[in-house]
Amino acid sequence: MAITPPTRAPHPLETTSRADDAVVAGPHRRHAARLAAIAFVAPLVVYLVVFYGYPLVQNVAMSLQRYDRATFVSGGAPFVGLDIYREVIGQPKFWRIVGQTATFTLVSITVQYVVGLALAVFFQHNFRLSATLRAMFLVPWLLPVIVSGTTWQWMMNPDNGALNSLVGLFGVDPIWWLNADHALMSVIIANIWLGIPFNLVILYSGLQNIPTTLYEAAAIDGAGPWRRFWSITVPLLRPVSLITLLLGLVYTLKVVDIIWIMTMGTGTSQTLATWSYAMAFGKGASAVIKYSEASAVGGILLVIALAFGLVYIAVQRKQED
Amino acid sequence: MTRLNPRAAAGIGIMVVSGFALAGCSGGPTVAPGESGAASEGTTTAQITFWDPYPQRETGSEWDTLVKSCAPDGSTIVRSSAPQSDLFNQLTTAVKEGNAPDIVLLDNPMMPEASSAGLLATAEQAGIDTAGIDENLLGPGIVDGVAYGVPMGSNALGLYYNKNILDAAGVNPADIKDWASLNTAIEKVVASGKKGITFSGVAGEEGVFQFEPWFWGAGANLSDLGSAEAISAGQLVSDWIGKGWAPRSAATDNQSASWDVFLTGDYGFAENGSWFAADAAALKDFTVGMIPIPAKDSAVAPVPTGGEFAVAPLQSKDASDHYANASSVIACLTTGDKATATSEALGYLSAKADVRAAQVAANAMWTPWVSIVEGAQGRTSELGATYVDVSAALSQAEQGALNAAGDASGVEAAFKDASGN
Repeated sequence: MAITPPTRAPHPLETTSRADDAVVAGPHRRHAARLAAIAFVAPLVVYLVVFYGYPLVQNVAMSLQRYDRATFVSGGAPFVGLDIYREVIGQPKFWRIVGQTATFTLVSITVQYVVGLALAVFFQHNFRLSATLRAMFLVPWLLPVIVSGTTWQWMMNPDNGALNSLVGLFGVDPIWWLNADHALMSVIIANIWLGIPFNLVILYSGLQNIPTTLYEAAAIDGAGPWRRFWSITVPLLRPVSLITLLLGLVYTLKVVDIIWIMTMGTGTSQTLATWSYAMAFGKGASAVIKYSEASAVGGILLVIALAFGLVYIAVQRKQED
Repeated sequence: MTRLNPRAAAGIGIMVVSGFALAGCSGGPTVAPGESGAASEGTTTAQITFWDPYPQRETGSEWDTLVKSCAPDGSTIVRSSAPQSDLFNQLTTAVKEGNAPDIVLLDNPMMPEASSAGLLATAEQAGIDTAGIDENLLGPGIVDGVAYGVPMGSNALGLYYNKNILDAAGVNPADIKDWASLNTAIEKVVASGKKGITFSGVAGEEGVFQFEPWFWGAGANLSDLGSAEAISAGQLVSDWIGKGWAPRSAATDNQSASWDVFLTGDYGFAENGSWFAADAAALKDFTVGMIPIPAKDSAVAPVPTGGEFAVAPLQSKDASDHYANASSVIACLTTGDKATATSEALGYLSAKADVRAAQVAANAMWTPWVSIVEGAQGRTSELGATYVDVSAALSQAEQGALNAAGDASGVEAAFKDASGN
């Protein structure tokens, strides 16, 4: 199309009335307005492509080629299609690790949510020292994970750890917390402890948004505390609960640090995230670096997280209708 | 929430496509590292970069000062440190991007993989002198008959003992001539009310390094992890856990943590490295002695060689100058009058017989270590670059054995699984 100077300076707001432009102003103004629109969007698009699109695509590309240290350096990794995915999923330990990841994630977020909600309801009633106590519950969130992870590992020492002394008081035999069989349980305990503050804070602020008049009206109508909880708190807290659970799920799926510090992903504590980390950097039991396999497992993790994200959007949309 | 409109969908499409295009551009290496260049054709530059795996040796430490004193006239050395496996990964990326350092100290079992991945210049190219180095210690740095660097010295594993505890239990360390007599000694120590032995069985190469003396001492071979000899080595350490002679935390303790457990003064024996020899000699609370690790049927088991190689990474730009830097600094650290200082600063025995003799003459602490270092065996000598895979499997087997806590069928299953049959 021929380019002639616009009759007047285009205003970016005009892009909001494109339909009118097309009829009234003819092609010239519409063209200029679109250029301006592109100019405004470009920085965001460039940012998204460079920092999100490119790494994601690179990750997928890596999982479709067979990389080792030599081909990583000199290039020329052969394209193998979906072979890497087939190999990863075909390993006998794959489904075991998926199961462990599911247990780790579901048990962690369920207990975190229930305990977080119980504490939030507890702190809803202001009492002396309630602010101080609430602040103390935030400590796990403020500590660096390297500190809390090491402390948990030390408390779970099978020979002279604090936790075994504690269970000993109840007549329980010392537990080898971090051995292959118990490792999953131990890292779940530590992870729940880490995640409670997050649930507490979000759910507590959600509770603040429920008008107290509802509770008062219900009380006058004769509803007891239990009834008030199920009929007012739970339904009105649903949007907040949903986002808490979804964020908790995504955070927990990708947890590496606490597990790595405590067990390096040995035994039953291996999850998709720690497995991918170990292969990507040649750490832990295996010093062999496996770029392609790590990318494939990372990709699988992303798809799982994305699936739950879509579930969240669907549920949210249903609520709004 | 509104539906995705077609325009937005097209936008996302463009993003994804351009992302693929970007990925396409960077498929190959940015700069191909050259095979050309030689130290003799280059001149040293004003700044020399030096990477080592000793983050604990800070700026101003004995080691740091020694390295920087090796800068040729008109040059300064910029030293940076990272843990072993991180250093290897950083080196991989740096060579790919064409900005590798001049000198890297790389852990010896990584040498075959590093050279076969095309990360290293040959010793000849980089002007590194390998004359006078013991064959067993130089071994890990020789791949397909070509030398790729020079060992910075060697450490080795020994069996430390707490003399006070052994005396009280009536154990004479000189009587320990094989596994049976070692077990008898540990049993006496435990019967006297003390604890048995500490070692590191942590997942990964570090735990494997500590397991190999028992593995080789049983007559097992890295090419067959499922053999009866291999299983018997696993059974030995598994029984220690099962009988309560060794702490169960051995399965997660690294070598420093395991040494800390020994320092509590509760344990009779500790398997650990020569780098703690100075620490042991300086202890006030109890007297520490050391004997070689026994094999199943003899007094001395082969131990793996430990320590780093000084190497020159492949360079794509001004290669000869970088190699000249490497040649000059490595020669300063490993030959001539600074060679002894280098070994002492690292807590290693030198890889050269004459320097080792000088170290022993100056410090009697080293005397019992000399024969161990001289009899040590390279981890990768037998398998080359595939050692890392076997080591991963062996680590898995050892973890399984420790978790079995003495149960013979569990130990056997762990080793059979790891060997893939």
